[in-house]
Formats: sequence, C-alpha cells, structure tokens
Amino acid sequence: MSTVEFSNVSKAFPGGAGKAVDDFNLKIASGEFVSFLGPSGCGKTTSLRMLAGLERNTSGRILIDGVVVAEPESRLFVPPEKRHVGMVFQSYAVWPHMSVFENVAYPLKISKRPKAEIAQRVTEMLAVVELSGLEQRMPSQLSGGQQQRVALARGLVMQPKVLLLDEPLSNLDAKLREKMRVDIRAIQQKLGLTVVYVTHDQVEANTMSDRIVIMRAGHIVQTGTPDEIRRAPVDAFVADFIR
Amino acid sequence: MRLRSALSIRSLLLFFAAALIFILCVIPFASLIYRVVSADGDFSIAVFGDVIAAPAVRLAVVNTLKVCISITALSLIVAVPLAWLITRWDLPFASRARSWLSLPFAIPPYVGAIAWIYLANPSTGLFNNVLGAPIFNIYSVTGLIFVETSFLYTFVFLGVTSALDRMDSSFEEAARLSGASPWRVFRDITLPIIRPSLMSGGLLVFLAAVASFGVPALIGGPARIYLLTTQIYNFQRIGSMSGFLKAAALAILLMFVALFLLIASQIVISSKKMQTVSGKTARPSTFSLEKWKWPAFAVVAFFWCVVFVAPVTGILLSSLSRTQGDLALANFTLANWTRILFETDETVRAFRNSLLTAAGAATLASVVAIFVSYISVKTRLKGRAVFDLFSSLPYAIPGTVVALALIMSFSSSFLGVLPSLYNTLTLILIAYFVKYLSFSIKTMSDGYRQIDDVLAEAAHMSGANWSQTLVTIWIPLLMPALIASWFLVFMPALSEMTMTLLLTGPGLETIGTLTFQLQEYADASGGGASVLALIVIATVILINVIVKRVSRGKYGL
Repeated sequence: MSTVEFSNVSKAFPGGAGKAVDDFNLKIASGEFVSFLGPSGCGKTTSLRMLAGLERNTSGRILIDGVVVAEPESRLFVPPEKRHVGMVFQSYAVWPHMSVFENVAYPLKISKRPKAEIAQRVTEMLAVVELSGLEQRMPSQLSGGQQQRVALARGLVMQPKVLLLDEPLSNLDAKLREKMRVDIRAIQQKLGLTVVYVTHDQVEANTMSDRIVIMRAGHIVQTGTPDEIRRAPVDAFVADFIR
Repeated sequence: MRLRSALSIRSLLLFFAAALIFILCVIPFASLIYRVVSADGDFSIAVFGDVIAAPAVRLAVVNTLKVCISITALSLIVAVPLAWLITRWDLPFASRARSWLSLPFAIPPYVGAIAWIYLANPSTGLFNNVLGAPIFNIYSVTGLIFVETSFLYTFVFLGVTSALDRMDSSFEEAARLSGASPWRVFRDITLPIIRPSLMSGGLLVFLAAVASFGVPALIGGPARIYLLTTQIYNFQRIGSMSGFLKAAALAILLMFVALFLLIASQIVISSKKMQTVSGKTARPSTFSLEKWKWPAFAVVAFFWCVVFVAPVTGILLSSLSRTQGDLALANFTLANWTRILFETDETVRAFRNSLLTAAGAATLASVVAIFVSYISVKTRLKGRAVFDLFSSLPYAIPGTVVALALIMSFSSSFLGVLPSLYNTLTLILIAYFVKYLSFSIKTMSDGYRQIDDVLAEAAHMSGANWSQTLVTIWIPLLMPALIASWFLVFMPALSEMTMTLLLTGPGLETIGTLTFQLQEYADASGGGASVLALIVIATVILINVIVKRVSRGKYGL
C-alpha cells in the first residue's frame, strides 16, 4: 500500500537545548507495523508528529509513498490536511459535540463524498471496531475503550496511506489494553495497513510490531524485529528497556 | 479549655466577617427596594409603572438596548478572530501581541472617552482639523459604541484566548488529519467547543455596557443621548425626593435586569459545559500564514494602534496643548500640568481622597477575604456558598445602583447605631469595598486552594491553636495572593468614577470625579482632564507590572 521514509530528519525546538530528534533515518515498507519505543522525552512522539505534519522538521526530508512531504531545505511542506494519513491520539480527541456517527463520518464529509457512501462506509467501519448500534451515542456516554474505538474508526474511515497511533492504549485499564492490542493488530493485518505506533510499553511493542525502533535522547539506538532485539540488544540500555 | 478558647476566637472572627458581608452587600439592596415600594406610607409598586411610562425613560431603554447589543456584537466580531489568530496561527510576536491587546482591559473606559473627544469631536477634534473638514463626530451613537467597544472587547478576547489555551489541541489536530482546512477546523471543531466561553464573554460585555456610566456621560451627554445609567444620574441630580425615588425605581429595574441575565446565562453555560481539558500539554501545532504573515501582523498592529496607541497619544498631546486640537509647535506647553498639579487645590484633595479610600477598601477587603475564603475553601460549614454569592452580588449590579443603595441605607443613622455616613469619605470607601470585594475573595480562595491542609494540620500537631496557625502558616504562605488581592481592589478603586459621582460632595473629590468635572465644565481651555487621565494610565500600567511580578504571571496582563 504505502511506504514511509525518514532521511536525515532533525528537529530543534526554538529556545530548546539540543535537538529533540537528531538525524533520524528509517524506511518503512508497505503493510509494515513499526513501533517507536523509548522512555518519555526520547523524541518518538515528535518523530510521529513530524510524519503527520503537526510539527515541522528543521532539516532532512520525509517521504510518504515516495513523495516528499517535508523538506525545509527546499521550503517544501505539505500540511497535515493534505497528507492523507490517519491518526489516533493518546487523549482520543473524540469531538464532544458530535455523535459517534458524526465523528467517524467527518473525514468523508470533508472530502465531500455522497451521503449514501458515507453512511455505508461509517457502518462498515463501526462494525470493524465492534461499535455497531452505537451510532447515535454522544462521546460523554461512552467508556474510554469505546472512545478509543471511535478514534480508530475515524482514523481508518478515509482509507489513509498510513495510520499513526500515539500511545493509544496508555489511558486504558490492563485487561482492555490486552484486548485492544490483539484487535488493533488484527485490523492492521486484515486491511494490510502501514502502521507507525508510538509507545513506551515494551509488551505492546513486542506483541504487535513487525519491527521496533528503540530511541533515546533524540537518537535511534537500535532497529530490528522483536526477536532480533531480544536476542542481540546493542547495549545495556536496550537490554534493560526490552526486558 | 485551650481548645474551647481557640474555637471561640475562630468562630467570632468568622461570624464578624460574615455579618459584615451581609450588612454591606445584601441589606442596602433590600432597603433600596423597601424604601421605594413603601414611599407613600403604604406598600405600592405604582412608582415602577410611573417611571417606565415617562418618555425620557422609554427612550433611555431603547438607547441602552441599541447601544449595548451593538457593543456586544462588535466585541465578539473583533475579539474572536483576533484570539484565534494569536493562539492558532504562526503570527509574528504573537505572545507580545496578546499582552498589547489585553492592555485596554486595565484602563478605565472614561480615559478613552476623554482621548477620543480630543481626537474626534466635531468642532476642534484633531482628526477633523488635520483633514480640514468635520468628518468625525464622536458625540454620536456610533462614537459611543466605538469607544465602549475599544475597551470592552477585551472581556471576550481574554476569555476566548484562555479557553483556546486550555482546550486539548488534539481535537483540532484530529480534524486537520481528517483533511479539514484551517477554516473548517475553526467552524466545525474550535467554535463549538469554545462556545460556552464565547457566550459568557459576550454576556460580560453586555452587562458591562449596561452598567457603564463614564463613557455614556462624557460622550452621550453633549449629544443628549441618554442611557439608563445616565438617566438615573439625571433624576438623582434633580435633588428632590421625587427625583430620588424615580432614580431609585429605575435603578431597581436595572438591577433585576442585570441579575436576571446573569442567572439565565449561568444556567445556559453550566448545562453546555463539556470536558475538553486534557492532562496532556503537547505544544499545539499552528497553522501557517505563509505569505500572509506580515499582512496579518499589520492588521493586528493597526487594531492595537486604534484601541491603544491613538487614545494614549491623544491624551498626551491634549495634556500638552494650549488650544485643543492644534498641532502647531507653539501650541505645546506644560501649562496644563502646572495648573492642575500645582495651582488647583482640588487636585491634592482628590489624590489624597482617592489614595485613602482605595487603600482603605483594599485593606479591608483583603482582611475580610482572609476569613471568608477560609470558610468557603477550608471548612465544610453549611451555607458557605452563600458568601460567594453575596459578595459577588454588588459586582454584578451596576455601580449606579450600588451607590444609590448605599445612600439609601446609610444616609440616615444606621439602625440607630452609626451616625449618618452621607457625604463622607467612609461611604465612598464602603462603596469600593462592596463593589470589589469579590475580586479579593476569588484571589484568596485560589490561594487557599493551592495550599495543602496538611501544612496547617502539622502546625496543630505542633501545638499551635487556630489563630497561631493563621498567623504563622496561612498568612505567610498566602502572601502572594494577599498582595494580588490588595492591588486588584486598589487599582479599580483608585480611578473609580461611576459610584463616586453619586456619593461625592464638597471636599470629597477623587481622581475620578475631578477628571469628570474638569472634562465636563471646570476646565474651560481643556487639557486638564487629560493630565489626570494620563496619570491614571501610568499608575494602572505600573500596578499591573507589580502584580504580575508578585504573582509570577498569574494575575495582571
């Protein structure tokens, strides 16, 4: 479906000491599930937000499907609304003034699809995330886990090139988290999605990912399949973090 | 034994504070109503009908509605786009622009009226002189709406920017990733979520416009455009008992309108409240203005020039002009300054009176707030919510009404205990205290909320009784809040005009009333009022800087 490429990407915040992300290089294959794993402040969320277009990289370039979406050297920047990526936020960001149906239908409404198609696609998507029958509920009437599924359906409904997930499970209780891990992985495999998943939880990264990118202080420390990293961690930090 | 005596000091002080609030914040309004309905010996509400039937009053009601609705609409139309631009776009100097645009909030609007009279009055206005034709006429409904809006838009601006700051930015980011353009994000997501703050901002503007007196008096007066507040003043100035009763009856109607609006809006706003604040404080992504960066900045800068730079420059030029509206170099002089500061007896008295009453009210309010906020935050006393309600009552009620209510209650000897306070500085001090007490209580309550109970409990465990704990633990920890509370009362009281004009008398000039007198009639050549207005602006900005320093940015602009 879609590939992603980071090439020498760096991010310095104005007034910040040092770089939040320093010389980040990564190629993600179509249909691959990649996790960015690391402690808070390691630059994993910033990298994800640069891919989404919510932050601007200060150097290097980012490509989606072989097309450059951000390259400050040539003053090129595609804003998030034109990148066609889906995203699920840590706080879910389910709009409180819209029903479940309206939330999920919003991306289709923006791209001016016919009403009948919108209704059909929303119904399908809600079935995928197991929320059928809750179309008319308001977000305040939903549990955290249900809001999470609304956010997921909204991210998927426009058939994005890439799906980005920013610590989506950190606000759920342990049992629900386990079920969502399995569900998200199953949906990804079923739809053949390219996924970038940010987390600080090594269990999530190990059980869901095709590949893990371990980060520390703005740098990539190690990249590999969960198995490879477990068997041959490059240093004590990785060994300790992955244990 | 020790416990009992500690308890009794505590209850006594708390009871005293509560009683003071009840006597000063509630009884005057009750007695205003009582005096009006029982004026002819027996109970009658006929006086309300008579007052409403008067053509002058009807006209004032229509004018008030027309003017206040326009001010509210205009404030929303300017302030909301400005707030959005500053918080959500990559505007150059955005954070500085935010404090610039907030500045008019701290300045009394009558200062703006004086400035705009200098700049745009039909006969000698500077703009008209420069253009060589009488194009601008500030003495008009349009002029009145313009000057009021140039100050009151800040109510919406401050409320909406802070709502936009608090809002979880991922709501908007999710919409952008859904493909929505900046305008669609604003229309579909931002606007619905901040609607409660928008409504309460609009309501505050409307209430402030209804209650405003200085601008309508100075700008509407010469054009014979009267609003409810200026009509009440006219009735009261007649000086007869019947005039006074008319003023009081109209004041009561105005008071109920204000209270009704406030209660109705509270119900609407609280029913629409949504959970939109998240614990996560990601730096929100901004929209990119690209080539519109500097044009957008120019628009913001121009707006700031209109609402702040022009009036302040106008006041400065006016205070230095021999003849108003003349820009010739020979026309500039320090004569107005020396005349007002050194050759006018009233000036010294006005400064002394204003400093005394404002400082007195600020001190009294802060001391009372120490106890009242303690009750409402740190105890589970039944009915403690009543204090907040009672103390915010006078703030919601227009100043004209508060002043009339105080005159009613304290002009004859109060309950046979106190002597008459009419025509005394004490009554002016009480008016400031009553009007601004809720600022103190709000600040102190915030302060108490930030201090964990265990600190006081540890003091009790170390053997300190309640009053020792208050003095050694609470008050030192509350010092920043206490200082902020003092200045938040002192600042508006120092330049207060609306209430003081009704309460003043010979020898009781304040900065506000002297400015009004100079502008209205006492300073024939003009420029005198501008001298005082400039001093007010300088003081206000200085105090703001102090408050912001002391509270580490929590209060002040």
